[in-house]
Amino acid sequence: MALLEIRNLGKRFGGLAAVSELDLDVGKGEIFGLIGPNGAGKSTVLNMVGGTLFPTRGKIIFNDQDVTRFPPYRRARRGIARVFQRDVLFRSFTVLENVLAGLSMSSSAGFIEIFFKGLSARNQEKAMREKAMEILQFVRLAQQADEMAINLPHGNQRALCLAIAMATQAQLLLLDEPLTGMNDEEIKTMMDLIRTLRDERGITSIVVEHNMRAVAGLCDRAAVLDYGRKIAEGSPKEVVDNPTVIEAYLGVEEDAV
Amino acid sequence: MSRKLLINIISIVVLAAIIITLPMALNNVYWTSILVIMGVNVLLVSSLRTIKLLGHISLGHVGFSLIGAYGSALLVMKLGFSFWIAIFLGGLMAAVVALALAYPFLKVKGIYFALLTLLTAETFRLIVRYWPGLTGGFWGLLQIPSPDPITIPLIGTINFANVNNYYYLTAVIVALSLLVLYRLERSHLGFKWIAIQDTEVLAQSVGINVKWHKMLNFAIACFFAGLAGALYAHYQHSLSPDATSRFGVLMSIYLVVYMVVGGESKFAGPIIGTVVLTVISEFGRALGEYQPMMIGGIAIFVMLLMPEGLIGLPKRVKLVYRKLLNQTKRVRRS
Repeated sequence: MALLEIRNLGKRFGGLAAVSELDLDVGKGEIFGLIGPNGAGKSTVLNMVGGTLFPTRGKIIFNDQDVTRFPPYRRARRGIARVFQRDVLFRSFTVLENVLAGLSMSSSAGFIEIFFKGLSARNQEKAMREKAMEILQFVRLAQQADEMAINLPHGNQRALCLAIAMATQAQLLLLDEPLTGMNDEEIKTMMDLIRTLRDERGITSIVVEHNMRAVAGLCDRAAVLDYGRKIAEGSPKEVVDNPTVIEAYLGVEEDAV
Repeated sequence: MSRKLLINIISIVVLAAIIITLPMALNNVYWTSILVIMGVNVLLVSSLRTIKLLGHISLGHVGFSLIGAYGSALLVMKLGFSFWIAIFLGGLMAAVVALALAYPFLKVKGIYFALLTLLTAETFRLIVRYWPGLTGGFWGLLQIPSPDPITIPLIGTINFANVNNYYYLTAVIVALSLLVLYRLERSHLGFKWIAIQDTEVLAQSVGINVKWHKMLNFAIACFFAGLAGALYAHYQHSLSPDATSRFGVLMSIYLVVYMVVGGESKFAGPIIGTVVLTVISEFGRALGEYQPMMIGGIAIFVMLLMPEGLIGLPKRVKLVYRKLLNQTKRVRRS
């Protein structure tokens, strides 16, 4: 049973077909790689699944529900969370508050809580803080809980992005180049985190990357896009050895002049 | 923690005592009326800051204030509403108009939002100016009645034609409004608004309905702008749609200047900015038409030397003090 089904998805920007006739199935608990050369349409696919772009044709089905026309916040409530490419964080919040923002939709606070916080509201707040700390422990940022998020080093900011997505209780994470600009140690930590999320919490991930080596080490399955079309799908090894893929990345071998 | 609470309670009591005794201490109708207008402006600038929580600067706040002012006055004069209901309906009208405009407006940001709101406020003003049948047009709306007197057992009848009594009425309404705005900012709503200001895409991705929150924020802020306008209308007894009136462009700019000079990072900033600049400009009344130059000069001075505004002054003083202390220590050691 697939968690995410993409059917005949297409997106046109004016005359340019950024994505066309794309079919993908991502199963529950999979780490799925989406790879391809620059401009292949990977980010466009991710944006359509996340809801920041609406497709021109096709369907996106998540958990048996058609979410094609859902705005991003409604998809987030259904369990799709994005981890953005650049360090998109709540800049005026501390590390803990960033995670609390991720937890905000599970809070039941309404208009009454603006003026008066009863015992149950206070208990809920306390429980949320504890939960946020637990998540921070998971990504190993508990020590920095009260620091401003923007003062963290790059790798830790990425981990915090992941923590925010976790806080939304996402079933599906959309990771846009999670390993770009990291050193080897940070890459290893990040890959371990994504794997642990899958193993301990059953969280599915879609990873967009152009670092092939990282994809091979991380993903269970991968699809390759080129000019908006899927040219290969399978285990990372199969995909990497596929002649069409090599051609797309390196160009056609021509006879020597 | 408890010490901080104690300090807070004491400062609130002292502040309340000052506000209550001020008109008696001044014993001067002119200054008391300045205080009423100042109270109205405090509410306007504080609600302007509520929009700023989303990262937007509105240059059209006076437009929504105008809706509240004319709305409330006309309800009382033409339809015989009681003042006590009309001022809230005035605020509500401003909020409803704001809600309708919020959807297209809040798609734009920064200077575009500022321009859009500025032009909207001017449009409101011109509509009022060229609709003499309803609003009195160019001559303005005259003879707006004072609030109906209220009778409280033991205290007796309070007549709001009296400046001092209107001052207390303004103080109570403004204080309650500020309390609401403060609680809002500290609540989960304020938290989400700041999250939206930081990054809209991530805010959406954690399940915050960004569009709805932007509309809600704008409507709430404009409600209080309308309420402030209504308070002004029934105090002044007349409204003018003139460009130089308090519904003109200059006033819009003044409100932003009050906010920036006071410091928009803290809730108290805009309040301090309004109070300080109102008092200063009263003493500068002798300058006549050059008065705006003085306000401009102060604004430039504050922005260059205290980018955080007046609210950042204690921190700065502390910093300078510490620096001096360290220097003297070093001198002694050597």
